[in-house]
Amino acid sequence: MGHDNYIGNKSMSSIILEARGIRYRYPRSMEAIRGISFHVRKGEKIALVGPNGAGKSTLLMMFNGMIRPDTGTILFDSQPVRYDTASLRMLRKRVGFVLQNPDRQIIAPTVYQDVAFGPTNLGYPENEVKKAVALALSHVGLEGFDRRPPHHLSGGEKKRVAIAGVLAMDPDVLVFDEPTSGLDPSGSEDIMELLDELNHEGKTVIISTHDVELAYPWADRAILLLDGRILQEDVPDVAFGNPDHVRMAHLSAPTLLELYFELQKRGFSLPDKKPRTVLDMMHIIETLFSKTCCQARPGSITICNVDLDNEESLLEWISNRTGVSVGAMGTRAKQRAENRQIRLDFTYGVIDKCILKALLGEDSLILTTGSMVDRVHKRVDDYGKESGIHITVTSLEPGIVQTNEESRRQT
Amino acid sequence: MFEDLLEDIAQKNGLRQVNTYLKLAAGTGAILLCLLSTSYIAPLFIAVLLTFAILFLARVDAKTYTRLFIHPTWFAVMSVAGIVLIYGGSTVFWSWDPLPWFSLSITRESINQGFFVFSRIVGGMSAVCFIALTTPMTDLFIVMRQCRVPEVVIDLAMIIYRTIFIILNQVIQIYHAQVMRLGYSSWRESIHSFASLCGAAFIASWESGEDLIRAMESRCYNGKFALLGETRPVERIPLFAVMVFLSLSSLVVICSWDMTII
Repeated sequence: MGHDNYIGNKSMSSIILEARGIRYRYPRSMEAIRGISFHVRKGEKIALVGPNGAGKSTLLMMFNGMIRPDTGTILFDSQPVRYDTASLRMLRKRVGFVLQNPDRQIIAPTVYQDVAFGPTNLGYPENEVKKAVALALSHVGLEGFDRRPPHHLSGGEKKRVAIAGVLAMDPDVLVFDEPTSGLDPSGSEDIMELLDELNHEGKTVIISTHDVELAYPWADRAILLLDGRILQEDVPDVAFGNPDHVRMAHLSAPTLLELYFELQKRGFSLPDKKPRTVLDMMHIIETLFSKTCCQARPGSITICNVDLDNEESLLEWISNRTGVSVGAMGTRAKQRAENRQIRLDFTYGVIDKCILKALLGEDSLILTTGSMVDRVHKRVDDYGKESGIHITVTSLEPGIVQTNEESRRQT
Repeated sequence: MFEDLLEDIAQKNGLRQVNTYLKLAAGTGAILLCLLSTSYIAPLFIAVLLTFAILFLARVDAKTYTRLFIHPTWFAVMSVAGIVLIYGGSTVFWSWDPLPWFSLSITRESINQGFFVFSRIVGGMSAVCFIALTTPMTDLFIVMRQCRVPEVVIDLAMIIYRTIFIILNQVIQIYHAQVMRLGYSSWRESIHSFASLCGAAFIASWESGEDLIRAMESRCYNGKFALLGETRPVERIPLFAVMVFLSLSSLVVICSWDMTII
């Protein structure tokens, strides 16, 4: 699987945020942070996990200088954070912070004004503000919401406005306090996907959460916090793989990991690599029962890059194949599907679900945008290397329409 | 209790897309014409046209509109009754002298004057309703800035606007929590609950003020509030409609000059 490689690449990159022996006590209260040191590398996805009151939010607030530690230093880009107004402004431009409750973050009476708040205060000229706002809104999939007042939006939409408000300042690091709290499951998955998308564009993403199931497959590294101290800091399968620590931190182990351990306890010989997704688990189970694949020939995956002008061939492709599963990755792709009334079978974990389909011998289509195309190829290739099953990935080119039979013959 | 906000209706009304200045021109123009008119006909004419616009163009629910109209109408009826009885005049229909220095009478002039005032109130009210129901505050902010209202005033107004809805939300939640635990079951209980509601709302607003400062700081606040969007372009048909409405109303004002009901 690709995660190791991924982390391997990232560990080469430089450290962007670092905490050195920080402690903090709220006035007339207990010590919230009791000596924490760790670092975050550029482009990493970090999950701070811990029970309520573990100090997650306090720690996050230090990253953009909202809270100044009593002792110890925070370093940003290898420079100690300074707390004069000008330095703080620079820091806050580069470290965007999204609060848990979007109502507390949204200031202005309309969506446009709120998203424009940051860029305006950074002194951008008007047309650049407009550009930044349009870009940020399209990123979170809220085009056309400019004039809506925030109190008319749903919880998920408000969250997106809050994220857009931060994105408009184009920060390098995005810090999210409980990004999925108060959202329904599909809304949570959407937000997590958005975070993935942002990370893929090179942003470092740090979240705090107590949703283990969400953090486990998502994070590059998980940091378990308890009582203002770091309990454990490692890749998720190790961090959540220690039952004692998980219990101490008032968390529960991810279901997949628990299943893995239960299988192991029953004497099945399992690979050392722990499963992070349903696909990984399926692979383990299938190898266990030495049934490499249910179908003699796996199905194929077709990628449609919606940035290209290929709407007609896309619609024709779909109408030629009934019963093909369609998934969309990224906000723009999802919007396109909605506009064209394409029924989506998958909206999150799309690549894995399509691989699962392929293993069943079924074909599938992934709608996605520019940079994500490579990601599909990479993920499928990685899976192929690991499992020895070759799944064909083709791109839907504008103007070239193949029928199901033709494409079958080709593969 | 709190569900029906004028602002919410305005945000979703059918004339939302029309240029704000046009709507304001129609509304304020109507008020001015109502004040200029010396007869009852023009204000009633304006009221009918604007009511039509509110109900059929802005597609405001008739029930809501009626409810909005009823309360001021009661005030209007009471003051008009006063005018009719006290105004005096030469052609007396009915009179009564309860005290030597105080008399009540209904005269031709007082009826005319009363009806005139009433129609003015109705006309003016429909104009105000027209503005309130078709132009949300968020659009008015843009107009305020373009009209060079001091920045401080607009920024404050915008923060107040946003905060009203946050606090209102909290008040609704607290209120529901109180109702669920029978907080308003008796008169004594209601007084007590209302007092604690006010206290809680005060604390909530204090806290949201602190949140606001924190939120602004974390987004690089530098004394500037975000730019406003642009007003919608003036389109031909709405422009034409407003011009027809205003000139027709002016024509009625001129033609019905000094006309009275009896």
